[in-house]
Amino acid sequence: MSTINFSAHEINFKIVYYGPGMSGKTTNLKKIYENIPQESKGEMVSLATEDERTLFFDFLPLDLGEVNGFKTRFHLYTVPGQVFYNSSRKLILRGVDGVIFVGDSAPNRLRANAESLRNLRENLNEYNLDLDDLPFVVQINKRDLPDALPLDMIKQVLDPTGKIPFIGAVAAKNEGVLEPLREVSRLVLEKLAQTA
Amino acid sequence: MLEPSLDLYGETFEKVDALFEDLLTKSHGLYVLIVDLKGFVIAHNKALWAPKPPSLDSLATLIASNYSANIAIAQLFGEKGFKEMVQQGDGIGMYVEELTDKTLLVTVFDSSAALGRIKLFTKKTIVEVKAVLAASTDTRPTMNFDDKWQSSTQSLIDGLFGASK
Repeated sequence: MSTINFSAHEINFKIVYYGPGMSGKTTNLKKIYENIPQESKGEMVSLATEDERTLFFDFLPLDLGEVNGFKTRFHLYTVPGQVFYNSSRKLILRGVDGVIFVGDSAPNRLRANAESLRNLRENLNEYNLDLDDLPFVVQINKRDLPDALPLDMIKQVLDPTGKIPFIGAVAAKNEGVLEPLREVSRLVLEKLAQTA
Repeated sequence: MLEPSLDLYGETFEKVDALFEDLLTKSHGLYVLIVDLKGFVIAHNKALWAPKPPSLDSLATLIASNYSANIAIAQLFGEKGFKEMVQQGDGIGMYVEELTDKTLLVTVFDSSAALGRIKLFTKKTIVEVKAVLAASTDTRPTMNFDDKWQSSTQSLIDGLFGASK
């Protein structure tokens, strides 16, 4: 549920990057940080282990601008992808307004993609949220891998109904990073206009 | 759906802000914030003598996450949650207590303030803020998300993230 702060004249949205370990969620946030002008972004916070694996979350606040006297702000979070950090993932999903699922193109990560998506649905259910009702976009990262699975094959496994927008990306090379964010932002604002 | 974490605007906001000033003066705290459990800052105030605070977005996110993690820890021991959270470094400390079921009141202080004093006046302020919120008769403002709003926000999205191809 989006949050409005009438005293500060702000509308705030929480967008979470979800996906299996090492799929590139933190890389996405780092690239977004590089791409966004200084005046539209806050500090990026990373709670990571010594070997730079996400321990709790990464956080990046973005300021979209002002409409009708209200600032529109997006708070971007990543979750730790490793299976044993599920408690942390669940905490980060509290109050989520939109999700970008970062999948991995490697053949040996197809199962991890599917398990992470199932885990996302389960964790959302604990907050009485249904992924089908949330603004949701899938980014399939690492499209430059020599043995990358065809996008259609990954789509068939993750979304047999074909309803979810899929975007191919090579986040490390800054390709396909802003598109999922733009799409989920659009969906989040559209949902707000429909339900407010 | 669009909802405030706390109905805090108009006269109610002014009253709560005055309570914050009182808290900072009496407790010798540096900053006071209301943070919601989603990690957003709802309201804040700073003592006249306090230096510029760090990024409030980062602070609020970390406090809310830390609080949620502490509840999860408490639940491992069969507790519903921990009632308060205290952090103390060499120079700076922080006292966090639940204000409502969705929000926290946070007082940040330095070594010139005694923890006991901070706790005493923060607890007192929580009671007073709750009373102000309960007595509030302010009508929640409304917002119009019409076509013009949608088109303006879409332009902002295109401006920041690039237009769709």
